[in-house]
Amino acid sequence: MGLRQYRAMVRKDIVRELRTRETVVAMLLFVVLAMVVFHYAFTVPGGGDLSLLTGGMLWVVFVFGALLGLNRTFAHEKDEGCFDGLLLCPVDRVTIFLAKMTANLVFLGLIQVIAVPLFALFFATGRMATHLPAFLALVVLADLGIAALGTLLATIAMHTRARELLLPIVFLPLVIPLLIAAASGTSAVLSGTAGSGSVLGRLAFLLVYDGVFLVLAYGTYDVAIGE
Amino acid sequence: MESASTAAASAVARPAVPGLAATTAILAAAGVALLAGLLVGFWIAPTDASTLGFSQKIFYFHAPIAETALLAYGVAFVAALLYLRRGAARYDRLGVAAVRLGLLFSLLVMVTGVIWGRAAWGVWWAWEPRLTTFLIACLLYSAYFVLRGAVEDESRRATYAALFAVVAFVDVPITFFATRFLPAGLHPVVLGPSGSGMDYRDLIAFLISMAGMTLLFVGLLRLELGIEALREELREIKYRLGR
Repeated sequence: MGLRQYRAMVRKDIVRELRTRETVVAMLLFVVLAMVVFHYAFTVPGGGDLSLLTGGMLWVVFVFGALLGLNRTFAHEKDEGCFDGLLLCPVDRVTIFLAKMTANLVFLGLIQVIAVPLFALFFATGRMATHLPAFLALVVLADLGIAALGTLLATIAMHTRARELLLPIVFLPLVIPLLIAAASGTSAVLSGTAGSGSVLGRLAFLLVYDGVFLVLAYGTYDVAIGE
Repeated sequence: MESASTAAASAVARPAVPGLAATTAILAAAGVALLAGLLVGFWIAPTDASTLGFSQKIFYFHAPIAETALLAYGVAFVAALLYLRRGAARYDRLGVAAVRLGLLFSLLVMVTGVIWGRAAWGVWWAWEPRLTTFLIACLLYSAYFVLRGAVEDESRRATYAALFAVVAFVDVPITFFATRFLPAGLHPVVLGPSGSGMDYRDLIAFLISMAGMTLLFVGLLRLELGIEALREELREIKYRLGR
């Protein structure tokens, strides 16, 4: 794997995003809109406590928001016809995977830097601040899983008809275990039981999940990217 | 002379599925074993002494179906690995047939699970680890067919389907572990680390049903592959006729 090529490819994706700003802005707007929709969809008469639902809401928003970005993983290369150029580069296919995954990870992380404080503000989850390390660890591990699996599937979906329709259908059932661990872990953090074995168990699970899909992507990316 | 030509014409008009006789024998054996399993289960094995009572009898159907579904996904996984390694179209055909049957058996798991759940727990549906895992497996392997439908190029379709079958098979046990994070635990653990906990007559009924269900799977798989071979032949003939 070439570190220089990797850096060049990540840089290219980020510079392109800085110039066009289409993916990250759309993702961010979607995430904020989804929070507003959730607030109204889940408010019960008499003003019930929403804080029990916040872990789940947060991760549903992130997973669906991430889908928007994942769908765009190779959009520019495909639309502008430079995908073949990318394949012709004397670069290991795994390097392409890692670069694309990193770009997806950066975009998702960028959204979260803005969305998480907003989330804490909207849903009054002040406890998030007191258990920040546990929460951050959950976010990092879950994001890595989303980016690894998502980049592999986005690569497959790129070569199909109606790729924007296909990606959610193949991505969501595979990401359910991650969603369960991240959402229940976040709920444990927010309900003040962080530090107990429950959060650690979920962190360990996410670590295994990330490892499994990184290895799978590493082993199959040659075939997935095609040609 | 005329009768010979009629026989030849009917042989052309009605091509046989390859290996049909053996497949029929396997399916017949499956039928006999399944029936025997039910007879032993209903008449010889004692009625469950716990709260499950008579409803436990569905176990002789439900558990073998579930294990056969997992077996089907396992076959699809191996076929996918072989396809990725060797690239022969027959592994792709084996994979599709196995996933199709796995999906069928998974749906049967859900149906029998829902019936048993109603009888044993008083609810039609419980978000319980095993049932939920099968639901997610159903969604996953349905996506397998959506993926196949979305790729036009034949070899690429087979490659992506194989890739997805590998990823999906790895995901199923992960999902099962993840659902353990959720508060639930209604499912009876029949074959646990502390032995089966079953009467030996129960165990016999279960094993006979299990063998029957596996034979049913093998028979159906052979039938699917035979039909697919016929389709292939038909495509070839149509191609040669220039249609």
